[in-house]
Amino acid sequence: MNNNYELLNMHMNRLVAQARQDVYTLSTLTNSAMTQQILQRLWDTLSSIQLVSEIMVNQVSSPSIPDSMPEPDHAYLGNPAIPPITPTPPLQTHQQTNRDITVEELATFDGKNGRPAYVAVNGTVYDVTNNRAWAAATHFALPAGRDYTSEFATCHAGQQSILATLPVVGRLV
Amino acid sequence: MEDQILPPESLTSEAIASRLTNNVSEQINNGLIKKQNLVYLELNGCSGNIISLLNGQNPDFEYTLNSMVDLRYSNSLMAAEGEQAVEKLMEVLEEDFILAVEGAVALKNNGLYNVIGRWEGEPFTGLQAAKLLGEKASHILAVGACATHGGVSAAKPNPSESVGLQSVLPEKKMIKLTGCPVHPDWFLGTLAHLLLYGEPETDNLDRPLMFYSTLIHDRCPRRPFFDRGIFAEKLGDKACLFKLGCRGPVTRVDCPTRQWNGHVNWPIGASTPCIGCAQFGFPDAMEPFINYDTTRIVEDE
Repeated sequence: MNNNYELLNMHMNRLVAQARQDVYTLSTLTNSAMTQQILQRLWDTLSSIQLVSEIMVNQVSSPSIPDSMPEPDHAYLGNPAIPPITPTPPLQTHQQTNRDITVEELATFDGKNGRPAYVAVNGTVYDVTNNRAWAAATHFALPAGRDYTSEFATCHAGQQSILATLPVVGRLV
Repeated sequence: MEDQILPPESLTSEAIASRLTNNVSEQINNGLIKKQNLVYLELNGCSGNIISLLNGQNPDFEYTLNSMVDLRYSNSLMAAEGEQAVEKLMEVLEEDFILAVEGAVALKNNGLYNVIGRWEGEPFTGLQAAKLLGEKASHILAVGACATHGGVSAAKPNPSESVGLQSVLPEKKMIKLTGCPVHPDWFLGTLAHLLLYGEPETDNLDRPLMFYSTLIHDRCPRRPFFDRGIFAEKLGDKACLFKLGCRGPVTRVDCPTRQWNGHVNWPIGASTPCIGCAQFGFPDAMEPFINYDTTRIVEDE
């Protein structure tokens, strides 16, 4: 636990240094196009500081805090497209790729009771368990575990990029 | 860059708001801006938006009434009642006015499911009022979920056959302020923008970009928990509320920085998931509001 505390402390110091650097950069910036990105990073850094401080406080009362602190990708600067978010560590361990899944089988992957949440579009089955638009394994009143080919075409016609960010788990047969 | 206000001038919300309101008072006193008539119509809803509005600060409601607009009609706030009140409403029709509407328009039985008064001995329905005033208004603000798309009033099974304001005024341009209820700043800010600079810039769903442009998820103080896959298992947990059904990742509005009840707190700050009330489709499309049967296996302690 002591090691963990030191790790958190180091992490906190690094975040504070990052925040100071960003504040300094903002004060010298003449190119206002960069401001938004740096403010975004500053916001994220502050949120992380809050997170780490809460974990440090919790550690005093309860020991059930994850031992490792995996780093999320901060790709805001230099890359305007914020990358798709994949929580780490991955929560499913039984994931098989590119296997055949029947409609009946698909219906069991409804994201309930610890099961992963899958949906099918155009014959491909995608994992939406940790997709940010599928909170509680539902998306705008559509529950997971079904084929949404026509629904996808209605709302996201031509937006193949949405599908490209989702992990593929198999084919619908 | 040269337009920015740099320190040591105070940059708190209160200071910025007071600079703005002083500026507007001055311009009104100098005759540069004219006070405009405002009609605030309450149709089929719960009056939640006007109650929320009374909680406004920077500017507060008193300032709005005294200095920004002439409030000519409001179901809840005016002193006149009965046919006299409707008479006031009819008088405004001869003049220029901004129309703000909260609540949905009930269509069933030709609007008889929502009667807001009596006019010339006949019941005066919300449907009549919306059409009559909507056609004449210089600007229209649809305030709250019911007015923008039907909201709670139009939730299944919708016995009153309620619809959003746009459905009865299909040709009219309107500014849509979603939310249940609308934050006082969203309404008063949009109104102030209308008076000062004209219509604010809106997105393709007619929502003002100044309030409805960022996702709650992108400004959520609990975002690091999401990024690391640490999820709350019950209400009140301090981690990310995504697995319980939080709609922050799909809801565009500034709640995390704006906050409610005099900028004190907001749903996620109180450890309850965002229910997506500022989304078109709320409430039906946003369910379940809370879900304990989650994708994450809850391990025994």
